[in-house]
Amino acid sequence: MIPVEYYVALSAILFTVGGVGFLVRRNVLVALMSIEVMLNAVNLALVAFNRSHTDAHTGQVFAFFLIAAEAAEVAVGLAIVLSLFRVRRTVRSDEADLLKN
Amino acid sequence: MALAFALSPLAVIAFGAMLLMLAEAFSRKRAGLALGATMIFAAGCAFSAGVWMNGLDDVDGSVVAPWLVIDRFTIFFQGLLCLGGALASLLAGGYLREHGIDRGEFYSLLLFATFGAMMVAASGDALVLFLGLETMSIGAYAMTAFRRTSPRATEGALKYFLLGSFAAALMLYGFALLYGATSHTDLAGIGAAVAKGGPRTPMVVIALVLILCGLAFKVSAVPFHMWTPDAYEGAPTPATTYMAVVVKTGAFAMLLRVLLTCFADKASMSWSSGWPPAIAWLAVITMTVANLIAGQQESVKRMLAYSSIAHAGYLLVGVVATMRSGPQASASVLFYLLTYGVSTAGVFGSLILCGRRGAEAVSYEDLAGLGRRHPAAALPFALFLVSLAGIPPTAGFFGKWFIFRAAVDGGFYALTVIAFVNSVIAAYYYLRVLVYMYMREPAAGAPFATPMRSGYVTAALIVSAVLVLVLGITPGTSLDVAVQAASIFGGG
Repeated sequence: MIPVEYYVALSAILFTVGGVGFLVRRNVLVALMSIEVMLNAVNLALVAFNRSHTDAHTGQVFAFFLIAAEAAEVAVGLAIVLSLFRVRRTVRSDEADLLKN
Repeated sequence: MALAFALSPLAVIAFGAMLLMLAEAFSRKRAGLALGATMIFAAGCAFSAGVWMNGLDDVDGSVVAPWLVIDRFTIFFQGLLCLGGALASLLAGGYLREHGIDRGEFYSLLLFATFGAMMVAASGDALVLFLGLETMSIGAYAMTAFRRTSPRATEGALKYFLLGSFAAALMLYGFALLYGATSHTDLAGIGAAVAKGGPRTPMVVIALVLILCGLAFKVSAVPFHMWTPDAYEGAPTPATTYMAVVVKTGAFAMLLRVLLTCFADKASMSWSSGWPPAIAWLAVITMTVANLIAGQQESVKRMLAYSSIAHAGYLLVGVVATMRSGPQASASVLFYLLTYGVSTAGVFGSLILCGRRGAEAVSYEDLAGLGRRHPAAALPFALFLVSLAGIPPTAGFFGKWFIFRAAVDGGFYALTVIAFVNSVIAAYYYLRVLVYMYMREPAAGAPFATPMRSGYVTAALIVSAVLVLVLGITPGTSLDVAVQAASIFGGG
């Protein structure tokens, strides 16, 4: 059986990859995907930790709730990206620069 | 029965929001929706007050806990959030129609988002906290992007959405690590496990750092504030009011609940090994940077956005003081949120009142000479600015006074001095608006603001003005309420 630590290490790597991707990439869609990778790292960590806390299914249930909430969040996010594309014809966050001091 | 009554503020807002959505779908007229939303919020306030006066001794906490915690802290915040929601929906009633974006879904979004904020205040479990946070944030993103054809609104909403989701992901990973370390997701359970955990494991420390980063994003503390000025400026002004009042209040409810439930043990609350120094540094940077940038703004709306960041800094001073002053400091944070909420709602309401369709008042020049041409619009504006600057006899003065006193009692002298110097710097840019309104005349041919006429906006301004004056002249009663609400957190 694969030890829990391996899963946790994988989720930490995924979370870092997502975080770096979010901070570095300027394409809004890639930024959205990076956030998804981070949230999936959270799900993986929760489910993996549940294997060592076997008294309840808290971690797994938490992950299900997260999946639903993420779907709702992305729906709004994509709507905002779509509306940005309609008015500006771009999906790059460095070209959305009207608001400055 | 007692339990149903204790949950009634949440239920009123949730069912009210659904009813309003149905009413919006089946009615042609938009006019009544703002009034309806305000009534629902008023009912939420009334039920919160009723639950507060009835007392919570007969509520069997074990039925809903650990998911929802219904205590005096929760009820205080639910009343405050409903008040902020009511003011925002009144302002929306005037603003949306004047500016031709009168679509009914704004009010349902307002109600559902406030429901999320109330859930955050009541949360006893990381899962409920997260669901409430998402409900609140998703509504706020949609309200920010409400003016679909405006590139500025879309851009503000995009930045808000991206950084808001990023912050949520950071917090969630923090809670996932805490679940791994303690096998609990309920906040009280995490707190108990962290307290008896002995020497700190790296996992708990990383979790604390991630959660602090997420919280700092949500309360828009510098250097996690990048989204705030853009989202506040791009959003329609009632949505800005909502973010500055309700979302910020909800975020501070979350901050207090998480820090004082999960990380309230001796080690976590000490200066050498806990969160207070991190929050103290955040407070210092937030106040100083926000005030310096706010002074350079050309747009009053953007200046108010930076001012709301600076106020988050003063509030964080109060949070640091909970380390030694305990409930006295958390009570001062609660009272400050009340005074800040009514002053901010009023100041954004005044900005709405000063604009017309196609000629929204945003810059200092727009307001030049307003005091002579329209004294009735300039006077409340001046009152709210004075309150934000913290000058007596307004609410803002006592808000700052109690925070500073809690900080001094806790022995944080340097922090208090920095906060005081900052509130003097802040007075400069608040009073600059007054100078423009009362001592300047618009340049020849330049556009100037003409106030709109709206019963809704006037009503919101009257309510906030009365509260600002009442809190500024007799703060005793409401401070007493804040002290009782904060007393659920044990000694410091």
